[in-house]
Amino acid sequence: MPDLDAIRTEARRLLEEGLVEVVVAFKAGDTPLHPQPAFFRSADEVDELVYDGLCQNNLATYLTRLPKQAKVGMVVRGCENRSVNALVVERQKAREDLYLVGVPCEGILDWQTIVAEVGEAITSVTETGHDLMIETSAGYQLLERHNFLHDSCKRCIHPNPTSAEILIGDPIAEGDPSLPRSAVESFEARSIDERYAWFQKEAERCIRCYACRQACPMCYCEECFVDHIEPRWTESGATPAGMQGWHIVRAFHQTGRCTSCGACERACPMDIKMTYLTEKLNHDMREKYNFEAGLDAQSQPPFAAVTLDDKNRFKI
Amino acid sequence: MPEKPKIVLFQCRWCLYAPADQEWVDSQLPENIHLTKTPCTGRINPLYLLNAVQGGADGVMISGCLPEQCHFKTGNIAARRQLDEFNDFLDYVGYDKQRVRFVWLDLQDRGIIQKQLAAFERELEALGPVSNLATRAKVAEGGQNA
Repeated sequence: MPDLDAIRTEARRLLEEGLVEVVVAFKAGDTPLHPQPAFFRSADEVDELVYDGLCQNNLATYLTRLPKQAKVGMVVRGCENRSVNALVVERQKAREDLYLVGVPCEGILDWQTIVAEVGEAITSVTETGHDLMIETSAGYQLLERHNFLHDSCKRCIHPNPTSAEILIGDPIAEGDPSLPRSAVESFEARSIDERYAWFQKEAERCIRCYACRQACPMCYCEECFVDHIEPRWTESGATPAGMQGWHIVRAFHQTGRCTSCGACERACPMDIKMTYLTEKLNHDMREKYNFEAGLDAQSQPPFAAVTLDDKNRFKI
Repeated sequence: MPEKPKIVLFQCRWCLYAPADQEWVDSQLPENIHLTKTPCTGRINPLYLLNAVQGGADGVMISGCLPEQCHFKTGNIAARRQLDEFNDFLDYVGYDKQRVRFVWLDLQDRGIIQKQLAAFERELEALGPVSNLATRAKVAEGGQNA
């Protein structure tokens, strides 16, 4: 785990020297399993800053919600760094207004699997290397960390921030690119009716709360297509067509923009699996255009970077 | 006699059909084919496709200009990238890829659109009526007008 004191020292320095107006990071939440995003505006608040594997949100979401000209400091992991880059490419924030404090990420913990394993009454969680020490009212329990990672973190390829101003902690090994590929290919290997049955089963639980949209850094439209009244693009109620339409188009709008952080799936109150949709699109972008969102702050996504060069790539 | 498959045809209004073909598309399309003209294939939002699919179309045909002949330079290329991917994605969640067809035509291709539509219709008949992906409720049944 990266040194928390080093993160706090850096955040404090940024605020004291006036390099940024606000540092976006996490602070302790109501329960030990839920640290929450926090905005630190003065150096003496920084003692509350925490960072651990239970920080679920993608902080880049707040970039488009803070004032456009604000100078922002942010503690970023690999996926958050890519989201920031993708937002810079889309001109939602100027790169020079940002100061990124990078931390190599060992994967976000899925608190629900931890609760399923040890029960609700958790009083503290301590991470030591590859282990988790869970303190409950009944005593201590030691768990292996890698068994409790979130699905999208198990498949993570780039855990290290690549364009942070300062990196705290040592970079860790890159992930295996075959993991997201095999996840998509194993789903594609099913028959079309099996795929539809799975999609239908997942989508029909949707309550249209749009938590996935709110958690996603790339969903920053002023007006979402589902909120349009005239024309109404898809049914806005919790009807089968409405729920399926939402899941299809929400994912498709992320094509070439999704950074596989998995914040949508973690935000879902109904436990709907949805990264299998965006993984497919990311996989296609890698295969067809050799493109991954957010690897740098210049490359346009494939749907924006259209040239006559690919006139022969589709069959007529 | 079973019903003919419902087809939605998106046509770019610049696509240079031979005059006789355009005349046929404008005035003599069979009843099972619904024509939607767009200013360019690049204007076809994936949401249009979704609307057609959720409106109960058995198949969707998109007809645009050949590469380098787009009235707006790269509209058709952009559309190809996006709609091709959307088609793949619909297939991934269960709407058969073969139900969406692209044709890219120019002035020389006389009579092609009729042949393509007829061939597409035969293929859709072989596939049978569409069952995957939920359709919108009809307005008469309390659905929202899309």
